[in-house]
Amino acid sequence: MLWPVLLPLGGAAGTLLLMKHPRLQRAVALLALLTALAASARLLAEVWRSGQPVVYQLGGWAAPFGITLMGDLLAVTFALMAQTVLLLGLVYALGCRDKVTGYPTFYPLFLTLTTGLSGAFLTGDLFNLFVFAELLVFSGTILTAVSDDPGGVEAALKYFFISLLASACLLLANGLLYATYGTLNMADLAVRIAADGTPPLLPLAIALLLATFMIKSAVFPFHFWQPDFHAVSTTAVSAMLSSVVVKLGVYGFLRMTTLLFVAQAPTIRALLVVAGMAGVIYGGLGATGSQHAKRMLAYSTLAQVGFILAAIGWGTPLALAAAVIFAVNHSLVKAAMLMLAGVMASRAPVKSASFAVLQGVGKKLPAGGALFLLGGLSLAGIPPTNGFISKLAVFSSGIAAGQWAALALLGLGSVLTLIYTIRAFMRIWWQPAEDNQAAAPAKAAKPGDRLLAPTLLLLIALGLGLWPAPLVHLATATAEALGDPALYINAVFGR
Amino acid sequence: MELLTALAVGALFGIAIFQILRRNVIRSVIGLILLGNAINLFLLSAGVYNGTVAAYTTLAGPYSDALPQALVLTAIVISMGALALTLALLIIVSARYKTSDLDDITGLRY
Repeated sequence: MLWPVLLPLGGAAGTLLLMKHPRLQRAVALLALLTALAASARLLAEVWRSGQPVVYQLGGWAAPFGITLMGDLLAVTFALMAQTVLLLGLVYALGCRDKVTGYPTFYPLFLTLTTGLSGAFLTGDLFNLFVFAELLVFSGTILTAVSDDPGGVEAALKYFFISLLASACLLLANGLLYATYGTLNMADLAVRIAADGTPPLLPLAIALLLATFMIKSAVFPFHFWQPDFHAVSTTAVSAMLSSVVVKLGVYGFLRMTTLLFVAQAPTIRALLVVAGMAGVIYGGLGATGSQHAKRMLAYSTLAQVGFILAAIGWGTPLALAAAVIFAVNHSLVKAAMLMLAGVMASRAPVKSASFAVLQGVGKKLPAGGALFLLGGLSLAGIPPTNGFISKLAVFSSGIAAGQWAALALLGLGSVLTLIYTIRAFMRIWWQPAEDNQAAAPAKAAKPGDRLLAPTLLLLIALGLGLWPAPLVHLATATAEALGDPALYINAVFGR
Repeated sequence: MELLTALAVGALFGIAIFQILRRNVIRSVIGLILLGNAINLFLLSAGVYNGTVAAYTTLAGPYSDALPQALVLTAIVISMGALALTLALLIIVSARYKTSDLDDITGLRY
């Protein structure tokens, strides 16, 4: 239970000690992530087999007093998803030409990013969640600030500022809940809030938690930092930030509506549907109007998170399962797409992902084009990709819930997705390169980033599209478990 | 004491939010520091509803709750790291743009 968090943390310490030995350091980083992934997979198998969440009480302190690590189906699924993508992100970093990945502190920071994300998913304590989220924010900020792109520092400053405000909100919500209920253990809080939902500080705490997770997930009114931040960070990192790190907020919303604030959930859900819809349309339009491949994909994340929020907002078991399926599929595909954009940028005459530079660059790399097209079709939800499965799940849950207006907007969002991904494909792989590029010196002969990581990610994605049964079963079981908060609470208290 | 703490927390929050909304980056960072302190003070006050005697110093008296103090300690350490990182970023950004006015930091506006 402890291993998925402890192994990356230990790896971070180990890589920090090995700063003088780059090759050994990389091997240790890879080993730490591989073993962490194996530990998560084992944990998932254990939870799946027993049908019971796995609980670990840190230091042996009984539930409401100590810190609880809590692996229920939702948490473990998200942790496994995050570590799969992070491992492939590390593989990309090992095979890429960015100067950043040569810095001795890159790998320790990458591993603390992993620790923060896995810990935030697996913790059962609200203050512990704050600590892990801070670890995540610090690592992400530094990794972006040292990016090869000169805009990195500015984007990092913006992101760090807004994230500190989010952390302040989370800390304040912690304080409010502690002052009201005298506990920060999520299971204990859930029991006490269900028993008495009238204290005057409770709505304020809910609002602050909502704001926190909205900033973490870059949901529509709090999205303004996200395209900047995700577009300038180095590819291996931006692929992580835009795919799995934004899922922290999604996870928070799922926990809020199904565990902590069950009685207040209808209000939260109504708000999430509206924010999600706004995100779908705004993100779709922003991506369509964008002139920069990575920026386009960052806007696209805004839209895709909107789909997930809409599903969480409908709140039926079918919709919750759809949200989980969508979150997993989006993580895999978005990471792969950003990596492909990075691969093309590394082969462009000027290192940039703007369409003006990338136009026609793909002609030399048709394999990348095939992968990008596959990823684009998956984002838009065309069979036989996994995107089709997630869109199908979201739309069928929406039809079952009778949300016609929302479905129309989601349909519009899907059409926008198809437009911008196909347009990006056309510009990079279809149109002939412009003349000014031919005049540039023959620097394009240098080898670019390797295609291995995005290929593996898209293979997993395609596999989940052709054989969706395991993921669908897992998501359905997760949604069922989410429908019964008593399961989580009893597991924590060892009843 | 209660009134004094409440007033101090309120005043700190007010000043912090006013400073955060200023255009000068350095002032916003000062606002962020003040916000952290306001929240820490609030957390600390959340633990004293049972009494103000520190836990385990004497056997008598209603003890104050020790957990918020632990939370505040953690939060202080984190906010110190955050402040150091913010200032480091700020030095680079202000040196690059030769300004501390947020409206002039426009390198990513495209």
